Amino acid sequence: MLDWMPVPLPWYLVGPLMGLTVAGLYAITNKHLGVSGAYVQAVDFARGRPIERWRLWLLGGTFLGAAAVALVAGSPQAGWGYGALGEYLSFPALVATLFVGSVLIGFGARWAGACTSGHGLTGCSTRSRGSFVAVVTFMVTAVAVTFLLHAVTGGAL
Amino acid sequence: MSRLNVVCGLFGAAFGFLFAAAGFNQYDVIHRMLLLQDFAPFLVMGSAMATALPILWLLERRRWRTPLGGELDLRRWPVERKHLWGGLVFGTGWAITGACPGTASTTLASGSLLGIVLIVGMVAGIALRDIVAERRPLRSHQPLPEPTRP
Repeated sequence: MLDWMPVPLPWYLVGPLMGLTVAGLYAITNKHLGVSGAYVQAVDFARGRPIERWRLWLLGGTFLGAAAVALVAGSPQAGWGYGALGEYLSFPALVATLFVGSVLIGFGARWAGACTSGHGLTGCSTRSRGSFVAVVTFMVTAVAVTFLLHAVTGGAL
Repeated sequence: MSRLNVVCGLFGAAFGFLFAAAGFNQYDVIHRMLLLQDFAPFLVMGSAMATALPILWLLERRRWRTPLGGELDLRRWPVERKHLWGGLVFGTGWAITGACPGTASTTLASGSLLGIVLIVGMVAGIALRDIVAERRPLRSHQPLPEPTRP
């Protein structure tokens, strides 16, 4: 593990570059950057439906890009850790909680048509009204549920 | 290996790099954001939109022709009920796990093995939603039973 880069990098560096990624992909390929669509391809593939390969390439890219960060900056979550949630829950409870939570994520993202990238980052940048509504709904919901978890766990989370 | 796929892979790599560089693939970072204790992730998202929105607006006005996909066609969706319901379910899962589809692969890539659970769960959730969505219209559009002849 190297220590060449402080993580998190300052927001005024990461944010605009992220915006350029969204705009650049649209400008070159006319594709709407969203990640949940890549996981939809897995389901479509399993059901013998046609798939959009570019989404899988995008997802594979995110994996490689993040791996590069872990190589140059180290990774506090490497192994079986999961931050404060991992310290609060026993391992079986952690796995069960993460599974149930991610089923909700997949279900909700598919229902809303996109996720934090497709509706959040990109949909808001194309001024999509449906995306605005989805983003406000999931932001408010997530903050409310997080405060609830904080209260229920006596401040441990 | 088409040109489109390679370009998308490269943009994906940049995106994943930035996600991880912002710490979005760590539970603690997202959790502190949702507790409203750390505003840096909001600033990342906000400045990203503030960068992409005017560029896309300008390109659309100029009827920009994309090199690999014809005339620029920004996708927009009208407001529907699904955005509320889906947002509610999604937001709950996001709060519980501190993860989203964009960060799950980057969590795994950073050596956090529980990222596998996140990915498997998300795919299961998408499949479940597809099954529910396909059942619903069937139920309400059942063909009426054949009239019995006297």
